[in-house]
Amino acid sequence: MFQKILIANRGEIALRVIRAAREMGIQTVAIHSTVDADAMHVRLADQSICVGPAPGLHSYLNQPAILTACEITGAEAIHPGYGFLSENAGFAQKVEESGLTFIGPTAAHIATMGDKIAAKETMKRLGVPCVPGSEGGVDTLEQARALAEDIGYPVLIKAASGGGGRGMKVAATSKDIDAAFSGARTEAAAAFGDDTVYIEKYLGTPRHIEIQVIGDTHGNAVHLGERDCSLQRRHQKVLEEAPSPIIDAETRARIGETCAKAMREMGYRGAGTVEFLYENGEFYFIEMNTRLQVEHPVTEMIFGVDLVREQLRIAAGETLSFTQDDLVARGHAIECRVNAEKIPDFRPSPGRVETFHVPGGLGVRTDSHLYDGYTVPPHYDSLIAKLIVHGDDRPAALARLRRALGEIIVGGIDTTLPLFEQLVDEPDIQTGSYNIHWLETWLARAED
Amino acid sequence: MSKNSEQDVEFIKALADLLKDTDLSEIEVEREYGENDELKVRLSRAALAAPATVHVAAPVAAVPAAAPAVAAPTPAAASETAPSETGPDLSNAVKSPMVGTVYLSPEPGADTFVNPGDTVSEGDTILIIEAMKTMNQIPAPRSGKVRTVLVDNAEPVEFGEPLMIIE
Repeated sequence: MFQKILIANRGEIALRVIRAAREMGIQTVAIHSTVDADAMHVRLADQSICVGPAPGLHSYLNQPAILTACEITGAEAIHPGYGFLSENAGFAQKVEESGLTFIGPTAAHIATMGDKIAAKETMKRLGVPCVPGSEGGVDTLEQARALAEDIGYPVLIKAASGGGGRGMKVAATSKDIDAAFSGARTEAAAAFGDDTVYIEKYLGTPRHIEIQVIGDTHGNAVHLGERDCSLQRRHQKVLEEAPSPIIDAETRARIGETCAKAMREMGYRGAGTVEFLYENGEFYFIEMNTRLQVEHPVTEMIFGVDLVREQLRIAAGETLSFTQDDLVARGHAIECRVNAEKIPDFRPSPGRVETFHVPGGLGVRTDSHLYDGYTVPPHYDSLIAKLIVHGDDRPAALARLRRALGEIIVGGIDTTLPLFEQLVDEPDIQTGSYNIHWLETWLARAED
Repeated sequence: MSKNSEQDVEFIKALADLLKDTDLSEIEVEREYGENDELKVRLSRAALAAPATVHVAAPVAAVPAAAPAVAAPTPAAASETAPSETGPDLSNAVKSPMVGTVYLSPEPGADTFVNPGDTVSEGDTILIIEAMKTMNQIPAPRSGKVRTVLVDNAEPVEFGEPLMIIE
C-alpha cells in the first residue's frame, strides 16, 4: 500500500479522499490555489502545497505544478477526484511516465471513453445496449425511410455537425419522415454549413439510470447496482437516489452483469459509471465516466462499502475486497446536491458562511468542506455540501431527508436548500414518478 | 479550566526552552480553543530577520472532524497579512512563480547567482527553480540591491512563496 498520496482536487471530494486515506494509515498531501490557503482540505491533510493562483487553469489544472508537488513531497500516487484532471488521458499518461501511480483507469481507457464515437463503438462491441441509429450520415429520403422502419418510430433526425438542439427534427410516425428529413437537412446546412444528418431512436421521456462498476488489475469486475439521477437542471444532476424507484431486481441484475462483463473484457481498472437513458424497459448507453462520481455516496450507503478505499487498494495492485455475491444492497439512499446558488434563478452566491450546522442522527451523512467563517470563493463550482440519507426503504429515506433538511443550516450565503424542502413534499417525488424533463418543467411551472 | 491552565504553563515553558535551544529571537503564538480550535505560530530569527511560517501537523486524535484543527497560514497567505515590526516587509518580495526546488547557483559547487548586498539589473538571473526536470531561470523583476535571500539552496518552494527581497 502507498505511504503517501497527493489529492489533485479541492472541496468536499478532496476531504472524501483524505478521510479514506487517513483510515488506511496513508499520509495525504493537499494541493491548493492561493485563495484556498484556508480551505478545509488544506487543514485536514498532513501536508499542503500551493500550486498556483486562483484560476483553476493555473492551479488545479496545472499539470507540471502538480507533478512537481508530488516530487517535492514524495507522494507516490495521485487521486484526481472528479472534474479537473480526473478524465484527462494525457495527465494520467504523464503521471505514469513520471513513475507515479494514477488512482484511476489507464490513459487508454480514459481516452476511449472520452471520445463519444469510440465509446459507443466499444460498448456496442461489448454487448452494452446503445441507442439504435444510422452508423453514419444518411444521404437520401429512401435510406431515411428504411432506417426509420428498422429502428422503429419515433425517430430523431440530427445534424452530424450539430449541437444545441439546432438541426434536430423528430418524426413521430412514417407520415412525418419526409418533412423531418428535409427540414433537418436544410437547418443543418444553414446553421453548420454541412447538411449531413443521421437518424437515431427518439426517447421522449427517459430516465437517467447509471450503473456503478469497479474492476481490479487481476481480471475481476463487479457492479454495484444503479443510481437514478433523472432529476436534472440544464444537464446538471440535482438529486440522486439508489436504488431507482422503477428498476426491479431482475432488470438490475441483468444490466449490471452486462456492464460488469464489459468491464472484465476491457480489463477496466478502478471505479467507473456506465450511464444510460432508460425508457419502456430498455437501456440506451449514453457515456461512461471513468472516475468517481459526485453521487457515489448513495451507492456506498446501500452497499456499506467505501468506494474510495477500494480505489486506493486497486491502484496499489490489490484485488477487489468483495465479489459480486458479497454485494447485497440494503435499504434506500438519497443525495441532495446543495449549491451556493440563489433560487429560483440559480444565480451563484459565493461569500462568507457565517454559520454551518450539520444535521445528525441515524442514517444521515453530510459531505462538505464548509465551516463557520469559511468564504466560498467565486472561482470554482458551486457545490458546497452533499446531504445523504439512508433508510430501510424509500418512504423512510424520504422522511429522514425531510427531517435532516429541517436541521441543516448554512447561514450567510444563499443555497439551493429551499428547493429540496419543496421537492421532498412533491407527490411525484414521493411516488418516484419523474423523468429527465420533470424538474425543468416543475421549475418553469413554479416560476409562473 | 485548571487542566487548561496547567497545559498552558507547560506550553509556555516548552516555548521558552525552544527559544533557548535555537537561534530564534521571537515566537508568536495565537491559540483559540473551542469550536474554532486554532493555532497560529510565527517564528522570527534576528540574524536573518525573516519570519518563517511553519505548518503544524494537526493533532488528529484530539480534534473533532468538523472543526478546523490548525490554521497554519501558508507562506503565501502570511506574506499578504504583512508581518510585524520585527520581520521585513514581504509584500514586495520576489515571489516564486511555480512549485519546485530552488537552486541558488548555476551548478553544484559554483558561486551563487547573487548575494545579499549585490546590485542586480532587471532581467538578471537571481536563482533557478527546478520543476519537471526543467531548470527555470528566474529573472530579477526590477533593478536594485539584494537585501535578503529568503530561501536555502535545494529547498522546495510553493507557488507564491517569497524568495528574495530586492530594494
